[in-house]
Amino acid sequence: MKDKTVWQWEISPNRPWYRLNLKELIQYKDLLLRFVRRDILASYQQTILGPIWVFLQPLFTTFVYFIIFSRVAKIPTDGIPPFLFYLPGSIIWSYYADCVTTTMNTFQYNAYIFNKVYFPRIIVPLSTILFHSFRISIQLLLFTGVYIFYSLHGTVLQFSWQILLAPFMIGIAACFALGCGLIVSVLTAKYRDLDNIMLFLLRLFMFAAPVVYPASLIPQKYKFIFWLNPLTPVIEIFRTSFFKPHPLPLFYLSLSLLTTMLVLVIGIILFNKREIQIMDVI
Amino acid sequence: MSKKLIQAQEISKYYRLGVLGSRSLKEDLKEWWRGKLNIPVEPDPESRRHIWALRDINFDVYQGEVLGLIGKNGAGKSTLLKIISRITLPTQGKISGNGRIASLLEVGTGFHGELTGRENIFLNGHIMGMKKKEIDLKFDEIVEFSGVARFLDTPVKRYSSGMYVRLAFAVAAHLDPEILVIDEVLAVGDAEFQQKCLTKIKSISREEGKTILFVSHNIQTIRNICDRALVLDKGRIITSGDSESVLASYIKMNRDQYLGTDYSKLPSLPGNEFIRIYKVELIPDFLDQNQVIDIRTALNIEFEFFYQAEESGKIQVNLQVFSASDELIFEIASESRALATGRIRGSAQIPGNFLNDGSYYISLSFLRNSTSRLFYLESCLYFDIEDFKGSMEFSGKWAGVVRPSFPVDLFQLTDPA
Repeated sequence: MKDKTVWQWEISPNRPWYRLNLKELIQYKDLLLRFVRRDILASYQQTILGPIWVFLQPLFTTFVYFIIFSRVAKIPTDGIPPFLFYLPGSIIWSYYADCVTTTMNTFQYNAYIFNKVYFPRIIVPLSTILFHSFRISIQLLLFTGVYIFYSLHGTVLQFSWQILLAPFMIGIAACFALGCGLIVSVLTAKYRDLDNIMLFLLRLFMFAAPVVYPASLIPQKYKFIFWLNPLTPVIEIFRTSFFKPHPLPLFYLSLSLLTTMLVLVIGIILFNKREIQIMDVI
Repeated sequence: MSKKLIQAQEISKYYRLGVLGSRSLKEDLKEWWRGKLNIPVEPDPESRRHIWALRDINFDVYQGEVLGLIGKNGAGKSTLLKIISRITLPTQGKISGNGRIASLLEVGTGFHGELTGRENIFLNGHIMGMKKKEIDLKFDEIVEFSGVARFLDTPVKRYSSGMYVRLAFAVAAHLDPEILVIDEVLAVGDAEFQQKCLTKIKSISREEGKTILFVSHNIQTIRNICDRALVLDKGRIITSGDSESVLASYIKMNRDQYLGTDYSKLPSLPGNEFIRIYKVELIPDFLDQNQVIDIRTALNIEFEFFYQAEESGKIQVNLQVFSASDELIFEIASESRALATGRIRGSAQIPGNFLNDGSYYISLSFLRNSTSRLFYLESCLYFDIEDFKGSMEFSGKWAGVVRPSFPVDLFQLTDPA
């Protein structure tokens, strides 16, 4: 019998890796935004300070960095007041780290939903990134406040036009985090050992980025490797644009962009290919 | 003939059993190295390492029909549902379809306890594939259907379980897909509400002309709701056709089935140095020709085992009856007796008009001196009890775990006007 029916959809064992269904993704836009809303609403339920925690977190971290790295270890901060120096680094770093850790647990945390309903799974990591982006935007307002406070109290700070690049820098961090998180989420779904290793590596990775020290501290011979890290130009450019005008490290910036895109594309392909198969082993 | 909406061809699903660990990693690496899955061609039902949950499933679903999928626990119903719902992939075969599918394998998927009822209506609606506009449009209807309007701005973790389910089902009932896939476990909550669910499902199909795929192991429900049915058994479709004739053969199949296990055919008897089980069987006292275990049927359980006696030790056997959701319904015990080493037969009876319709399983526990457990024979008997309503008008699922026929009487006190 000849079957001439045209089918709208098909379920078969093999999912071509290149078929990223953008149209479908757009159909689920409402779900994406609802997840973000859920996370925002849920994270401050039954807390006394509520949304103030968004501010307190970076302030506490920065304060600890200030004590340890500036007061005790006496690491120079390029002549910038240490507190002001650490604040943006710690904000951007924790944004990256939070995005990676939540994304890499996508399958474990959401198995109860994934086991009952279909929707493009990538909605979940995307919503995570958006949720953390919402937080970082508020935190950057805090940074601006502290920045203005310092300027008014006599600290000489020179910002340049590069501060306009800030959203772009955060965007790179977001894409890099999403890519890393997706790759790890697929790798750790079946064997969870990798989770522990990843958390450990992530902690070490912080010291490979100029979070608690300026990039100028890196000896010349390690400079290239150091700048290979996509987060280095992100944090460094963000900081110099606010504190000390500095020519844009265009070469490293494009390198960082390239690495980020590569990681992101690999992450999306892996995730897209494995998202449903993984449900059999969760 | 109406339009074909779903076409399933040669669907098979393979699962590897056992614990994931370094051993399975080794196998994974081997498979990855060879570039293909290492799946044995011949299904081996005895294997402990893998299982074919579904094998060569073919079926079509036509527009506007309600197709029932019936089978015992473990027949592959849930796996098939999951494949159609795109939660898991088939190992072989393909399903093609037209139209938007919504799957109700559970109500209230993704409900967040900290959020209010209002928020959760949107959250759950979006997860089920509804758009914001659709939910806005149906919001009042959903709230009214759920009957929790007063608590709309209370976090759902403060809801009673009944309210929670009502709200969840209300959202599900207002989905508007072309094809609806429904698991029977959906009809939860109290009897009145279950009735409401089933009525709603019926009206969705009759009045709105929706295509529905309904999964159940309850004959009565399938008969009530479905036009056509498929019987799944051990991962294969064994009959299909209009629901009346399919159900008739399903009932016949169950009747012919021997309920019990004769372990003496196996190479080794289950047990240990104290206890060895020969067999466990269920013998129903059928009431009529039909030979269906329904709620009126009394059930005899008989078992035989070898007992290695010890000095001044008494043997006692406890029998536990569990519901399909692993809830212990009751436990009954034999008297503790000083029996000698040798073969021992035991029997127990569950009277008719006692258990409600549903799936149950039995475990046996062998105790020394009523305290120390010698052996535990877990889930050795599975059986289903069918519904029997007689002349009763109510056609939904009767609530409760037990269903005794204790007398309830009504008297006319005032003279009729």
